[in-house]
Amino acid sequence: MLLACTWRPAIAPLAQAGPAAFDPALVRRGANLATLGLCANCHTTQQSAPFAGGLAIATPFGTVYSTNITPDRDTGIGAWSEQAFARAMKDGVGRDGSHLYPAFPYDHYTRLAPDDVRALYAFMMTRDPVRAPARANDLTFPLGLRPLLAGWKLLFLDHDAAPADAARPPDWNRGAYIAAALGHCAACHSPRNALGAVDQRQFLGGGEAEGWYAPALNAKSPSPIAWTRESLTDYLRTGIAAEHAMAGGPMQAVTASLAQADPADVRALATYIVTLMGKPDARIEARARDAAAHPVVLQPAPAGNNPAAQQLQLGARVYQDACARCHASGRTGSSGGALQLPAAVAVYDPDPRSLIHIVRDGIPPGPAEPGRWMPGFANILSTEQITALAAYLRHSAAQQAPWPDLAKQVAAANQDTASK
Amino acid sequence: MTTPMNQYALNVNGSQHTVVAESDTPLLYVLRDDLQLNGAKFGCGLGQCGACTVMVGADAVLSCLMPVSSVGKRPVKTVEGLGTVQRPGVLQQAFIDEQAAQCGYCIAGMIMRAEALLEAVPAPSDEQIRSHMALNLCRCGTHMRILRAVRKASNKMAGKA
Amino acid sequence: MSAPLNPARRLLLKAGGALTLAFTLPRLSLAEDGGGPDLPGSLKKEPMLDGWIRIGADGSITVLTGKAELGQGIKTAIIQLAAEELVVAPARIQLVTADTARTANEGFTAGSHSMQDSGTAVRHAAAQVREILLGLAATRLNVAPGRLAINDGVISGPGGASLAYGELVRGQELHRTATAESVVRKPGQHFLSGRAFQRVDIPAKVTGGVAYVQDLRLPGMVHARVVRPPPGAAFASMDQAATAALPGVLTIVRDGRFIGVIAQREYQAVRAAAVLAAGTHWTGAAPAAPQEARGDVEHMVSDATTILDKGSVPAGGRTFRARYRKPFQLHGSIGPSCAVAQLVDGKYTVWTHSQGVFPLRQALAELLGVDEALIRCIHVEGSGCYGHNGADDVAADAALLARALPGKPVRVQWMREDEHGHEPMGPPMLSSAQATLDASGQIVDWAYEVWSPTHNSRPGTAGNLLAGTLLAQPFTPPPAKPIPQPEGGGDRNAIPLYSLANARVLHHFIAKAPFRSSALRSLGAYHNVFSIESFMDELALAARIDPVVFRLRHMVDSRARDVITMAARQFGWDQYRRQPGRGRGIAFARYKNLGAYAAVALEVEVARDTGYVRITRAIAAVDSGEIVSLDGIRNQIEGGIVQSCSWTLCEEVLFDAAGQSQSHDWAGYPILRFPQVPDAVHVHVIDRPGMPFLGTGEATQGPTCAAIANAIADATGARLRELPFKPARVMAATQLAGKPASRG
Repeated sequence: MLLACTWRPAIAPLAQAGPAAFDPALVRRGANLATLGLCANCHTTQQSAPFAGGLAIATPFGTVYSTNITPDRDTGIGAWSEQAFARAMKDGVGRDGSHLYPAFPYDHYTRLAPDDVRALYAFMMTRDPVRAPARANDLTFPLGLRPLLAGWKLLFLDHDAAPADAARPPDWNRGAYIAAALGHCAACHSPRNALGAVDQRQFLGGGEAEGWYAPALNAKSPSPIAWTRESLTDYLRTGIAAEHAMAGGPMQAVTASLAQADPADVRALATYIVTLMGKPDARIEARARDAAAHPVVLQPAPAGNNPAAQQLQLGARVYQDACARCHASGRTGSSGGALQLPAAVAVYDPDPRSLIHIVRDGIPPGPAEPGRWMPGFANILSTEQITALAAYLRHSAAQQAPWPDLAKQVAAANQDTASK
Repeated sequence: MTTPMNQYALNVNGSQHTVVAESDTPLLYVLRDDLQLNGAKFGCGLGQCGACTVMVGADAVLSCLMPVSSVGKRPVKTVEGLGTVQRPGVLQQAFIDEQAAQCGYCIAGMIMRAEALLEAVPAPSDEQIRSHMALNLCRCGTHMRILRAVRKASNKMAGKA
Repeated sequence: MSAPLNPARRLLLKAGGALTLAFTLPRLSLAEDGGGPDLPGSLKKEPMLDGWIRIGADGSITVLTGKAELGQGIKTAIIQLAAEELVVAPARIQLVTADTARTANEGFTAGSHSMQDSGTAVRHAAAQVREILLGLAATRLNVAPGRLAINDGVISGPGGASLAYGELVRGQELHRTATAESVVRKPGQHFLSGRAFQRVDIPAKVTGGVAYVQDLRLPGMVHARVVRPPPGAAFASMDQAATAALPGVLTIVRDGRFIGVIAQREYQAVRAAAVLAAGTHWTGAAPAAPQEARGDVEHMVSDATTILDKGSVPAGGRTFRARYRKPFQLHGSIGPSCAVAQLVDGKYTVWTHSQGVFPLRQALAELLGVDEALIRCIHVEGSGCYGHNGADDVAADAALLARALPGKPVRVQWMREDEHGHEPMGPPMLSSAQATLDASGQIVDWAYEVWSPTHNSRPGTAGNLLAGTLLAQPFTPPPAKPIPQPEGGGDRNAIPLYSLANARVLHHFIAKAPFRSSALRSLGAYHNVFSIESFMDELALAARIDPVVFRLRHMVDSRARDVITMAARQFGWDQYRRQPGRGRGIAFARYKNLGAYAAVALEVEVARDTGYVRITRAIAAVDSGEIVSLDGIRNQIEGGIVQSCSWTLCEEVLFDAAGQSQSHDWAGYPILRFPQVPDAVHVHVIDRPGMPFLGTGEATQGPTCAAIANAIADATGARLRELPFKPARVMAATQLAGKPASRG
């Protein structure tokens, strides 16, 4: 039976270039679904060549490169029939019968309604073709062997429909469908098991992407200020929740894509997610809201000569010298007035990686798009300084228990950049 | 928390200097005001334009963001350390040859950003040069000449004339 | 503009060199307060030869110009002109630029006038000085002038006897009025042109030399920063105690809504200003109404002037209409404005990168309530200004703060937020084009209207200095007045150069706009050329005529035809084969219909799913009259093209729902970065030896914009009429346009 699953037949290429005319309404629907499904996030690496692929995706098994999904006949999916396209989305199988790496999240797209798959096909086949051959993947042998994926799918590819709840209003259900079948939030925001599959038992319990920590969106949400449908909708559409968050790292591309989606759909998604999120402790929230409202002075580092205290003192000094200029002044019109850190989600995360990346990489606006801009300090602060700073912010801004393994994670982030 | 006025020993362009400044003073002001080095320029103070670019160690760094207290022993290099009017360095000569300046305000920052690239990547592609220089703004539109100058310097350093 | 006798300047000249100037020496044959109308260029304003050229006993040559180096290479060009005519090595020449105490009053360095006005004056003055020197040598050597030779400042006769310039001039020989005619050296005699003449300022700029006003360091200099109110807000209270206690703070100055803080060290001033701003409270902020911020100029109160009315409206034909729109845009100087001022013994010295030191002095005199004679404004280079930026305002800030600390040089550096937030902006504009084509595709009727706020808020008065409007006894800005044709402001280049038998052009001048607006490189020409040249393409398409052919059919001016033809040929227009996603566009204008001729042809590649526009190559053909500095022209044209790409693809000032600007820094006002700069730019310059110099610095802003619009339309079928062509706008337009029209 395994053998039977391993081998999948090729689907004949289209005899001629794809259908000349797709119903414009179907194409428009597909365009919206593509923004919700975040196709461009992986399949567009250059603004001048949308959907032409080439993004390096690091997996525990090596590097996978996204493919060209423009309708170019030779290097893209121009020869794919609708049947082949649907099979890829549902079963993770390419036109030639090969299994696709689940870096392409077909374990989510499998839940798409057939009409939505049809609309996505109409959209993809009406894009401008770009000639761009796929880059060869770089996977650790034997993990790259495609037939092994059949086994993986047997274990983890679940064809169940998206969650639906008749007791909930229509927009909640719409949001649940979008999250499960399109936005694939769980792909980053859930932990993965040893075989790289989403751990459904800890659904939306916190995960990672590209070295960043993706916070829990369920009862374990670390946000110091409760998300509301309005604030989450704003955040998903603009990348900014005025009081407490700015999309950084991989989340920036997500919000850039959702900015183009039907606002009602994004609101539906926010409606759904908000009902899953836990609420912050009242005291933490009061403190955070107070900080968000006006500039506060961070609690000083403790006195003392023990290593922990000295590290906090160093962190306080680094904060004062490098960060306070913007972060202590409160929000002003320019980028030089920044979020008060007791309100920032990143310092409350159980995992310091997002904070580390924010400090190192900063948060720039999208290409040629206006936005707020936090600069990166990777070349400015040493590993020791960043570690101390993170420890200090955890202590004084979040007032939470220290992160274990902080130094190791700062060093790992350093290595990550060095090896790029 | 007050910012203490400290003494800092800095290695700039190969020479040791001692400056006295508040710990949060960005390196940019120390270079310009305490050491009278004009190369690094104030363009925004926000890390958005690159006019303040210098090298610290092997990295191109935005000196408007780097507090003087973070420099430590890392050697600082500014455009003054690459050469003089009488004896310009390779990049500087390339910029002169290509007449790669209009108002010229961004140019010292461009040169330091390019220097960091060429020291790390001896024969960069045109694509690499463009994307590496992306953080530095030029408002006058001198980009084409800047790219040509960097290419010229790169060829020279690689021994290709 | 008259150039009044400048008593302070005369006194100073008395002090130096072999050429001295007695205060009472009468000027020969001309009116007291002006030159002769026949004199070339700015010799009209300063007719005395030694107002331009001075020669020392040691042979040193000083050339004076009332123009300022803005990065356009004018210093180099003027040195080159003078060296050429005086037949000396350029390195021998010391150039003095705009200084109210030393140079002629040439008004503003703006409008691409520098070569036409100052360059022309220097060339003719130098030529006349040379002839005078030849005459003196002829007398001394007893040889006919025609038998003398000059080489690097030394005149020699056939017998080998020679005299250096310094030996020839001993008294007032050069203190005389220029004549209308000069013996200018012929192109064949030139020893400098044809050789690459490098910019004199670049070596210092690439090696960290002192080059900008930002680099000035004067003994005892202190540092200041300003704190500005939100638009329309009144001062409520200021807590000074926290700021005064900060290290290094010397004094806090408040006069009404004008607030500044001075400190010993620069970063101490930055820190102090931030603390002071946080401790200052304002009330009643009144930003613009959102639709005004958006630039809905057609709803603002305006005064209409007909600037062209010829022929009559014919009957019949097909009539087409289109409207074009641009938003507020910024100068966005890369180095925020800076000035140093010092008050000593009742006299002010201001080091400034203002484009007009004389008008600035006049405004400062009014602001400070002192006589102009007590103020000296010296131009020192700043970063590129591209028109009226914060330079004058920061000079006013510096003068006011210097007054608070007499004796000390006070340096005021605007922060990035100050410059972005308070510079006078390029105003929003709207145009409406209408034309009728006959059966053969010829334009038989043309009607064009343009709405625009002012493009000129330059000081001359204290009310046009930002600080002047903030004082407790504020100065009011004078009512804005349109710049008259043929130069124009919002109506610059509103009259096409094409031959149009029946044409009407209307200029709607908006005197009061929600935000201060002033001159931004090419003024109204950017928008008007965008509109007209886009419209020409739309008409060509409707007439099914090639855009180049269509333009040539309506253009009689042979120099215009030459640049259009050259740009098309160099682009390969006739052989062009369109590739998927790509298209070509061409546009032409003669700047102000008086300046340089420029045609730009370019190819774009448009990614419809991201709205990303890539310019694969841009070709420019330019005619600037006689070429002095070929590289200088190329540099300005390339720069203008790239800057216009940025304006056109990226730039608009953003306002929130309350009408407050959100473009405080580069994050809120992104401009073109290296990855999106064109792949290639080629500039071809036509030389017209013997013809007058034509202003070139602003010639390609408009043509580049229209060429991009035309190329996008060619590539995608989508006609964009609203600037900028940001990705979202391009995406929306190209999705609507559907698949492009069948490829030819």
